[in-house]
Amino acid sequence: MKIRTFEYFIKEAVGSLRRNPIMSLASISTVALSLLILGIFLIMVLNLNNMASNLESQVQISVYLQDGLSDVETREIGTRITKLSGVNSVMFVGKEEALSRFKQRLGEQQSILKALDDSNPLPNAFEVKMDKPEGVKPVAQAIAQLKGVENAKFGQEIVEQLFALTKMVRIFGVVLIGFLALAALFIISNTIRLTVFARRKEIGIMKYVGATDWFIRWPFLLEGIILGFGGALVAVLLLGELYGALIQQVYESLAFLPLIPQYPFITTIGIVLLVIGTGIGALGSNISLRKFMQV
Amino acid sequence: MINFSGISKVYDNGCIALSDITVDIPKGDFVFVVGPSGAGKSTFIKLIFREELPTAGKLIVNGRNVGELKPVEVPYLRRNLGIVFQDYRLLPNKTVYENVAFAMQVIEVSDREMKKRVSQVLDLVGLRHKAKCCPLELSGGEQQRIAIARAIVNNPVVVIADEPTGNLDPDTSWEIMKIFSRINKGGTTILMVTHDKTVVDAMKKRVIAIENGKIVRDEVKGVYGYEN
Repeated sequence: MKIRTFEYFIKEAVGSLRRNPIMSLASISTVALSLLILGIFLIMVLNLNNMASNLESQVQISVYLQDGLSDVETREIGTRITKLSGVNSVMFVGKEEALSRFKQRLGEQQSILKALDDSNPLPNAFEVKMDKPEGVKPVAQAIAQLKGVENAKFGQEIVEQLFALTKMVRIFGVVLIGFLALAALFIISNTIRLTVFARRKEIGIMKYVGATDWFIRWPFLLEGIILGFGGALVAVLLLGELYGALIQQVYESLAFLPLIPQYPFITTIGIVLLVIGTGIGALGSNISLRKFMQV
Repeated sequence: MINFSGISKVYDNGCIALSDITVDIPKGDFVFVVGPSGAGKSTFIKLIFREELPTAGKLIVNGRNVGELKPVEVPYLRRNLGIVFQDYRLLPNKTVYENVAFAMQVIEVSDREMKKRVSQVLDLVGLRHKAKCCPLELSGGEQQRIAIARAIVNNPVVVIADEPTGNLDPDTSWEIMKIFSRINKGGTTILMVTHDKTVVDAMKKRVIAIENGKIVRDEVKGVYGYEN
């Protein structure tokens, strides 16, 4: 294909978009909305997975003790835990220290503590570090059996809950995205159909003077691609801003939440969305071309 | 140049448009195709530029077996044919120059060659001075001349015209016929469907008459042969 011919295709495609500004805008908005929602779901699922795998790699068990144990009883529990196989270190965290750690985590949201009226609901605890993540579950179960132990928490439980949540978000997301992608496809193919219809005379003449099918198709295909890409671009820019703002917010108030850093994460998602948007555009116009132009 | 041998065309609804047509049109011929409405004239020319496919027989156009062409090969057949319609089929939002250049654009001719050639054909049809006008600013005869310019701009070996003077008054029709004669003198084959008795009788060219899907007459210097 000659460069001049390609220029001609671009000119035709852009000219056609200008002739149907409302339909073009509707197509771009639909694609943008669909991809924005897809992007939000992607960010949610990936972040939940990230949290889960963060927790999974942790080799720590938190052992919470019953209230009212004597120092001797507490020390006895500590010794027993140390003797279990695979345990690397055992550290005592008293009620007071637990509270001061909690205060640190809350950062600016100290007001939550006011509800406690200076009482300390946190139990005495041991932090048990393991050599390998695989040993965590049996050791935690063994510790939970010990007398005086309220419960023994480790990452796995939260990981399982997170995975269940991720699964739900994923199923819901796939269904929603499926519908939105169909809507975007439909509206793009409809926009192209209008263009094809408006230019059917021209298409007929092109055929008589010996234009190849691809020569006739390209401007329409480009039109669809521009619509899809434009919509995706809007979605990506919005998503970048939204995620940036979210991260800012989280760093300020919920710093312990391990969110995936903005870059290059959002760039990767952006590229994925742009590819999907362009694909939807090309597919949408192709549907119309096959159906209404028979070329 | 064009060779029909045993060509039949039956439409899907069972309507027989042409049956067992055998005719040869050599290079440089000027042929009128005449006959009553519904006789099969339009189908006859549509087969040549493969708007329709024959149901039986073999049709060779410019060395290509039209019935066996793959869809992707059709544009290349048409690049050697110039087609002129009764209703001109110009693009109203493009200028005269653009309408003619359009036919060269789709086959990706260079800008320089395009400018040169479009000027040449606009000269040939006598409308170079109207290159910047839009078709709707021109008379019917002028529009048809533009359509002819577009049909010949790519140097086709055959020009096929479907009632090119059907919408024009007698004087204008003569102007159009003179242009076709000039094109024919350059060696281009002309195949023209017409109902214009005066033109056919005066030109004394080959006449093929079709009735009920069959060739009933093929004369070297023929006449129209029907009452208008």
